[in-house]
Order: sequence, then C-alpha cells, then structure tokens
Amino acid sequence: MAKTKKLTGRKRDERITAYMFVAPAVILLIAFLVVPMIYTVYFSGFKYQIMRPDAIKFIGLENYQKLFSDKNFWIALKNTVYFTVLVVPIQCALALGLALLVSKKFRGVSIFRTMYFSPQLTSMVVIAVLWSVLYNANPNTGLINSLLVSLGMEPIKFLSDADTAMNSIIFMSAWQGAGYQMMIFLAGLQGIPKDQYEAAAVDGATKFKQFLYITLPGLKGTIKYVVMITMIQAMKLFTQPYIMTQGGPKNSTKTLVYYIYTQGFQKGNFGYACSIAAVFFVIVVTLSMAMKKVTAATD
Amino acid sequence: MKKAISMAMAAALALSAGATTVPVMADDVTELTIWSPTDTEAIEAWWEEKLAEWNKENPDIQVKREAIDRSDSYAYDNKIATAQTSNDLPDIFYVDGPQVSYYAANGLTVPLDDYFTEEDQKDFVDSAITQNTYDSHLYAIGATESSVAFYYNKDYLKECGVDVEDLDSRTIDNPITWSELAEIAEKCTTEDYVGTHIIMDHGEGLPYALEPMYLSAGKDYISEDGTEADGYVNSEEAVKTTSFLADLIAKGYANVEPIKDEFLNGACATMIGGSWDTAVLEESAEFDWGVTYYPVNDDTKEAVSPCGDWAAAVSKDCENPEAAGKFLQWLMNTDNVASYAAAIAKPATRISAYDTEEMAEYKEGVRAVFKEQLENTAVPRPRTPSYATFSSAYAEAMTNIFSDASSNEEVDEDYIQSELDTAAETFTDDYETYYAE
Amino acid sequence: MTKSMKFSAKFGKFMFYFGNIVIGIIFVSPLIWMISASLKPEAKIFADMDSLATFLPIQASLDNYAEVFSRLNMPQVFKNTLLYIGLILIFDLLVNSMCGYALAKFDFKGKGAIMNLVIALMVLPMEAIMLPLYIEMSQLGWVNTLPALVVPFIAKCFSIYMFRQFFCDVPDELIEAAAIDGSSPAGTFFKIVVPISKTVYATVFILDFVAHWNDFMWPFLVMTGEDKRTIQLAVQSFFGTQPVHYSAIMAALVVSAIPMIIMFIFMQKYYVEGIASSGIKG
Repeated sequence: MAKTKKLTGRKRDERITAYMFVAPAVILLIAFLVVPMIYTVYFSGFKYQIMRPDAIKFIGLENYQKLFSDKNFWIALKNTVYFTVLVVPIQCALALGLALLVSKKFRGVSIFRTMYFSPQLTSMVVIAVLWSVLYNANPNTGLINSLLVSLGMEPIKFLSDADTAMNSIIFMSAWQGAGYQMMIFLAGLQGIPKDQYEAAAVDGATKFKQFLYITLPGLKGTIKYVVMITMIQAMKLFTQPYIMTQGGPKNSTKTLVYYIYTQGFQKGNFGYACSIAAVFFVIVVTLSMAMKKVTAATD
Repeated sequence: MKKAISMAMAAALALSAGATTVPVMADDVTELTIWSPTDTEAIEAWWEEKLAEWNKENPDIQVKREAIDRSDSYAYDNKIATAQTSNDLPDIFYVDGPQVSYYAANGLTVPLDDYFTEEDQKDFVDSAITQNTYDSHLYAIGATESSVAFYYNKDYLKECGVDVEDLDSRTIDNPITWSELAEIAEKCTTEDYVGTHIIMDHGEGLPYALEPMYLSAGKDYISEDGTEADGYVNSEEAVKTTSFLADLIAKGYANVEPIKDEFLNGACATMIGGSWDTAVLEESAEFDWGVTYYPVNDDTKEAVSPCGDWAAAVSKDCENPEAAGKFLQWLMNTDNVASYAAAIAKPATRISAYDTEEMAEYKEGVRAVFKEQLENTAVPRPRTPSYATFSSAYAEAMTNIFSDASSNEEVDEDYIQSELDTAAETFTDDYETYYAE
Repeated sequence: MTKSMKFSAKFGKFMFYFGNIVIGIIFVSPLIWMISASLKPEAKIFADMDSLATFLPIQASLDNYAEVFSRLNMPQVFKNTLLYIGLILIFDLLVNSMCGYALAKFDFKGKGAIMNLVIALMVLPMEAIMLPLYIEMSQLGWVNTLPALVVPFIAKCFSIYMFRQFFCDVPDELIEAAAIDGSSPAGTFFKIVVPISKTVYATVFILDFVAHWNDFMWPFLVMTGEDKRTIQLAVQSFFGTQPVHYSAIMAALVVSAIPMIIMFIFMQKYYVEGIASSGIKG
C-alpha cells in the first residue's frame, strides 16, 4: 500500500518534471518554426510579389494548380529524390567506415579525426570553388580531367553535362558530409561495451564477425538516427547546386529547395514559392513519418 | 496595457541585446543612412573621408554609411527585398543598374528629378542616365560605369599568325566583326589554348556581356517599352546570334566552363572581357596584350557596347528625401565622382570628371577604349521591372544551350529556339502577373 | 611463427597508418589547397590547376593576410561571433538535452505528439521560412539586435532527437537506483545522467558550433553594420568586391577556420573520457 502511494507520487513528480523539461524547447519551436511555417502556408494562398506587400491578393488554390502543372516543379522533385536515394547510403557507409578507422585510441588518432572532419571545418564556399575547378571540363585547367587524359581516357564534362552533373555533386557531397556523420557514429561506438569485443576475441571471432554481430547491432539506434538526418539534410540540398551549377545544365541539378529559393527571392514570386514550400513540407513529413514507422517496426 | 507590455518588452530587449543607445537628436538634424556593398580598402577609406567632410560642413544633415557584406549581388537584393517587407530600408541604398527599374516599378525608390536637372544630367554619359531612368523619371544616380571589349594575347596571336597590328589599329568606326573573332579563335585553338572566352557565370554576366551582340544583329532581348520578350529574345535574329555563340563552344574554340582568370593564366588566346579586368592584367600578366572595341555584327556593322554599374537611390522609407537629394547632389559632383572612380578603378559617369588629373589614364591606351565606348556606343540593359526574372531565365537558357552544344559537339537550332522560347515565356508570365496595365 | 606474427602485426600497423594517411590527405586536400592559395599571389591560384602543384604554395608570401587584417577588424569580428554562438550553445545544450531526456525517459501525455513535431520540424528548410521569420523579428523589434541571432536558434530538432537517441541508452536501473536514493527526477538528470553523457554533449556542441560558424544568410539579413559583423559576413565581404580576389578570400577563410580547428581538437578530450565512462553505460 505504502509502496504504491510512493510510486504514484514519483510518477506525478516525473510528469511535472517532464513538462518542465519539454516546455522551453517546445515553446521556442512553436514560436520560431511553427509560426513562420503557418505564415508560409498562409501566403501560399496569395498572389504576392515580394516587393509589393501592399498589392497582395487572395487567389485561393491557384498557386497549387499552377504548381502541379509546372514542369520545373516535377523536375526539381525528381532530382531531389534521386540525390537523396543515392547520397544517403554512400555517405552513411563512408561515415561508418571512417568512424571505425578512428574509433580506437592510437597515436595520432585525434589528428586523423580532425582530418576526416576537416571538410566540415572548411566553408562550403571553398569546397565548391575548389571542386568546380577540380571538375573542370578542360584537361588543361581541370585536375581530374588532366589525370584522366594522362591515363589515356576521354575527359568527362563533370558539371557541364546534364548526365553527369548530379552524380558529380553526389560524390562531392558524400565526401564533404561524411565527417559529420562520422562524429555521430564515433559517439555511438563509445556506447558499445568493450568487454563484448574482448569476449568475442577470446571465442576466436574474426574482426568481420565482431563487426557484424557486435558493432552493427550496438549501433542500431545510431544508424537509424544517422540515416534519418542524412536523408533529411539530403532533401534540403541547396548550397552545392546554388554555387556550382545554378540548377543546370538542363535543370539536372535543380532541387526543390533551390527552386523555392529562386522563385521566392530571385524572381520575387513569394506566394508561389510558399506553395512549393508547403508541398515540399508535406512530402518530407510523410516520408519521415513513414520512415519512423518502418524503423519502429524493425525494433 | 498592451502598450505598457510592449514597452516593457522593448526595454527588456534593449537590455538583453545590449543594443546601442539611440542618441536623442535635436529636431532640426536629419540623420541619413546609406547602404552599399562592402568594397575595397580604397573605397572604404573614400567613404570615410567624404562623409567626415560632409558631416562637418552640414551639421543639419548627418550621414552614416553601412557597408553591406554581400556574397553576390543576389544576396544584396535579398536583403533589400527582406528589409522592405517591414519598412526597414535605409534612406539611401545602392542598386545595380538593371535593378533600378524593378525597384522603381515596385515603388521602393523615389524619383530624383528635382535634384538632378536636365542641365546636370547632360554632364553624365547617356547610358548612365538612360539606365537609371524609368517611366521618364530618374530613379538613381551613379558615379561609375562599366564596359566590355575584346582582349587579346599579342605574343600568342603572333605565334598563330594573326595580324596583331591590324587589331591594334582598329578604331571605334572600324571594329572587328564577330566572324573575324571566330577566325582568330579558330586559328588560336590548340592543345594548350582555347581561342576565346565567353563570360560563363550562369548569372547576370551572360545577358550583360552578350546583349550588344543581339542589338548589333538588330533585335534587343526585350521591346523598347519593356513589356514584351516574345518576338525579341526568341526572334530569328536572336536564334542566329545564339547559334553563332554555341558554335564557338561546339567547335571547342571557347570553354563551356572557363576557369577564373583563364586569359590571365594563359589558357585562352582572347576574351570578351570587362573594364574591371584591366587592372589585374596590368599588374600580373606575363605576356603582352591589347584591347580593341566590342565586335560588331557582320551584316549591320552597328557598334554597340555593354554598360551599367551601381548607383545610389533614395528609398520610400526615407523621411526627408530633400535632405537625401541635397546630399546626393554633393556626392555626385565632378570632384567626388572623379576621386571615387579613380579609387575603384572604374570609368566615371561624368564627362567633366575625365578632365581631372585622377582620370588622366583614360586619355589614351586601353582605358580610352572603354571611355570611347561609353561615350559613343554604350546601350543600357532593358528597362523593365521583370528584368531580374528575365536575366535568370536567359542565363539558364544559355547555360543549357552551351551545355548541349558542348556535349553534342554540334549546334541544334531547334533546341536553341525552344530554350529561348522558354526564357521569353518566363518573362511574359512574370510581367503579366505583376505589372501589365 | 612468433617472428612472422610479429612481422604481420607490424605490417598490419603500417598498413593501418598508411591507409589512414592516404584517406586523410584526400579529406584534408581542400584545407591544404585553401592554405596554399592563401599564400599565393592572385594570378597564381588557378594557374596550375592541371597538376598537383596547385596544392603547393608557390611564390608564398603573407601579403594576403596583411590585407585581411587591415580590411577587417578581426578581434571585433571574433568577439561578435563567439558571443552569439556561445549564447546559442549554452541554451541549446540545456534546453535540447532536457527535452531529449524527457522524451527518452519519462511517460507523459502528449509525448508522441511532441516526438512527431520534432521529427516533422526537422525537415523545415531555413530557405523556406526565412522571410516569415524576418517579419516576425521585425514585429518583435529584434532586427539588428542580438536576440534575432540567438533566440530563434536555441531549440533544434536535430539536437533534441540526438539527445533522445543517446539518453535512451542510459540504463533504467541507474535512474531507478538514484530515485530509490531519494533523488528527484530533475536531480537525477543533472547530477547523474549529465555527467556520464559527455560524449553526446561534446558531439552536439561540435556539430552545432560548426553549423553556426558557417551561418551566412540569416546574420546577413538581420544584422547591418560593421560593428555587428559576424565571421561569415566578414569573409563574404571579400566576394562582394569586384573583381573578386580569391587570394584574399582564402586568407580570410584560413583565419576563420583556425578557431574551429582548435575547438575541434580540444573537444576531443571528452571523447576519450567517453570511453572511460562506457563501463557504466553497459
């Protein structure tokens, strides 16, 4: 009897604490993410040239009608999906590989960690400028093509050919971003008890088997998290096409966020940009909820 | 009550922000704020010196400048667009030439006719006044101009057997034609060099540098009144002009992705380059080079050249436009224009500025070419509120066309037509949605 | 037998280092290129792009750095940047870890809804809400003040989710034991859970620090004035001056990367401690 009473008291304490713990974050999220998002949805019902807030005119669902018959929207959606589907597995696998290389303590480990993380420490601007010249189509001015030619191969027009531009961005992005996910994997690897490996080693399990039966299951939560954030970041792809290709050539690197940005700011079609943003939002939320369901089912 | 809360909030904010305290000003002092992009040390120093001078002499109009750290001109325009939604615009802000109409048509800027009479305007090169005039009112005024001409590597051209002396001797009445340019490019394209260089920034650089080529062929991008692109940028003449350019790429006479400083680094033999390239070349080029006038169309032989640069405009949020106008009159006087242009190493807009000592180097040589073009052949970009939309649509079309030509190593006129049609459509769509009638 | 084993162990070690170095060089190449470009005169930066010589500082000098320091008030820029990022991070680590912990270890009504909210908002691209957020800042009177840089970015879905993910692995027995010892739920979190979770705090710290260090568009829109300049605004100001000089840009970028590299190496200490504390976690 006394015990139950004590428990319910604790439960109540926990509940109050829980609300106090989530309140600041939730209030801030609502104030600075949900409210602007509601604005976005609201403006999507208007004809709104960004320079003319006074001439704003309600047009109902017209922006959405336009959107679904807009060829560029579907191209941008397709490109976004293509990028995500390819970059997520490549980048996550690369990140896990890097994390395994530097997870144990050895002389110089922090130098190697810093090296792998360094593309994150360098500004995206440098990376984009550097890779634009590395990828340059002319073997006289592009390092990669000059290597290809000296190996007797044909030069590739990495960024100026519609067939290769997106793949070139995918490769660069995976390389640039892997250091970020590596950090998270490293944090996850610290959580796997060492004695499990020791026991396995005593039993004569190979490194590969240890990886399969200890590391991977131990990283389950981390892998889910990493895949999810990589996917979400991939859906938001913007900077690379913005700096390197401006969405071209032939729309091959135009992504949804890039399209939202150019419509909203460059061309001033703010109402229309808001409708793209709203649809984008619906798609991505559906996707991440589905993903949450799938991962929950595999638990 | 509501007011009390908002005041308390403001006070709390001011405290938490550690906001700089706003000094209480006497009623008869006008404070003006200017936004312009952050610039080189010489220009930053120029601003400091000039504003100190003005503020000392005019205690009733105190001027302050904020340097805006833009990453590119799009970012700067975004800041203007964002600030105007909440009436946060400064009193005076700088605008790039072709944007003047966009801001004017949307009522972001106010006319300056009262402060710059026709007499004053006569001292400016025509192009600078035309570019900044919208709906027959002057909306912005700038100190500097830009131009584009044909640069060539004399040492290398001689090696290739090109008559360099002929190029050197050309005058504004006798410029080279586009097919002469193509011939030179063909002769000079070798394993180590491409023949020529077209600005390939995927942005405003393309419509800016190429417009005279279309004009010389007989049709501008957009109708004179700024309302129509259909039948202009996608006209037969335009397609032909574009095909000519695409052909240079298809044949490998120009790179589809030129690196920065391609000409300076000796990777291309010639280039269609800007007045701003001169200073760097003078400083670092390891070869002898020359500049001649912007090429003309083979049939019409009509000489046209690009122009346009940043200019100052007075915003709708300015409470005392008269003070702003008075300040701009002073800021754009001959001496200030000359010293500003000299500091930024660009050609000046005021004709009288060229008589000053600071502008002496424009009397002959390379810079004289640009000055001559500005005084005689410069045509500003189309003046239409939908220019920004057009510019990005055109740049996108050209990028696609060049990419197509480069991949297939031949020119597909139907594809060019369809891409230019799309650019025209994008313009029409924007114009009709927001500005028609 | 032992000799060959010793040899193979040595060989393995050699290969391990060799592999790490090769991969490391590939990853660090942009940094090297950036440093070497920052030491070159403008005309030389893109001159050797067809050979590996582009990574070498030919005709090296410190002129570009002199230009950066004479054009920008670097101490002021660092102060501004560290101040606002510091404020964000203090609140970020506190607010988001509390929320993540509640989502991981407490049962309460609305937990599922909050979890969904966090996941849904994670996908919101800044580019899509920038203008409405600006309008909101303007209505609050925050434009051109510190709160506009700090307050909207304290709560972060990524961080909440990451904290939750890691707190889920904290054994319930540990919390149970603390409760039996009479610790309140909040006390348990601050006194017991936080000290053994240095790894996740260090990770979130690094990732968020780096993200904000690279902030450009938002500070650009809300802040005006040289005295309020943040690091990326300072760096980007070199892009705005025609003609663009990459030599000066690279020097500015190197200067801007130094504090991050130092911070990164320093924060790694907590990873090492993370290993030591993993015994408790298992």
